[in-house]
Amino acid sequence: MVAVRGEMSWFCCGNAWGPCGSTGHGACGTCNSGSRQHAWPAASQACLDITRPDLCGIGLTRRSCGFRHRTTNLCNGAAVTTSIADCGPRTRSFCGERSCCGANCASNRLIDLTPSAYSVIASLSTGLRPVSVDVG
Amino acid sequence: MTTKLDRRVFLTAAVLTGATAVGSLDPAEAFAAPKFDVEPGAPDPNFVEGRIGTITGTMLFVTGSDGVFNRVRVTGATSVWKLTPTSFEKVAVGDGLYARGVRMADGVLAAESLWVNIVNIEAHISSIGRNVLHLEHHGSKIVAHVVPGTTATVYNGTPAISDMSLLKVGGHVKVIGAWIPDTNEIQIATVYAGV
Repeated sequence: MVAVRGEMSWFCCGNAWGPCGSTGHGACGTCNSGSRQHAWPAASQACLDITRPDLCGIGLTRRSCGFRHRTTNLCNGAAVTTSIADCGPRTRSFCGERSCCGANCASNRLIDLTPSAYSVIASLSTGLRPVSVDVG
Repeated sequence: MTTKLDRRVFLTAAVLTGATAVGSLDPAEAFAAPKFDVEPGAPDPNFVEGRIGTITGTMLFVTGSDGVFNRVRVTGATSVWKLTPTSFEKVAVGDGLYARGVRMADGVLAAESLWVNIVNIEAHISSIGRNVLHLEHHGSKIVAHVVPGTTATVYNGTPAISDMSLLKVGGHVKVIGAWIPDTNEIQIATVYAGV
């Protein structure tokens, strides 16, 4: 299994309260904060044109809606498997950004999980965590 | 983790059914793909999102943004976040929340963690004032208040500091904060910015 290291964050989607209320159901039309889903920067060519992980030196295979990735939090070893429901994060906006837990570090925004998925492996208040994503 | 969980479920089931011997597994079954506690893409039964309509004792009555009604039980072991780690007394009717816990047989979610009014916003800074950032997020403007003594800034993964002087108008930031239901503004917990 091939894995890529990067940063994970979370995002809200679907029906929601507060500033999340205008986000909609994502590029795949299925995204909901309470479901085990994620946004992937290579969810389509149009998505790649926006996120441009290549500008940060990351080559990602294009995967479409519903494809599953397994994300492991490098801070605690906890893992969750989710399916693609949106395009993101916008990797190019944070090229070189780095998150660490002790000696476990990762650079560049790689994946955004829904609150449901993120909270399985980290507290929502952490915002950013270094992770490894199985992309095989 | 999945392997341990499956084994625990398996052994628990064996105990509950009074089994005294365990037969061998079919090899194909033994090496089959691991099962998920929740199917990827599916709604998570151990997670609740919504706004608090009523609080009775330690029970929160929550209406999900999709209209689904949930009861969330807070215990002495429940961790509560509302801008900072805090106590249940700070939770109020009208607050939005995310809750993770264990769904009990009666449908109540026994909460392990509550994140109250938490927001995670990717935005551009449109202007900077005294103790306030004006953000542009998906075409909407958001007023984000700095809370002295609480708000922290992380520049490119370095340790969090209180100095926000390196933030720039037009810069792209991620903000973890707490939504204020009455004003639709937010208070900033942490700003993540590149420099």
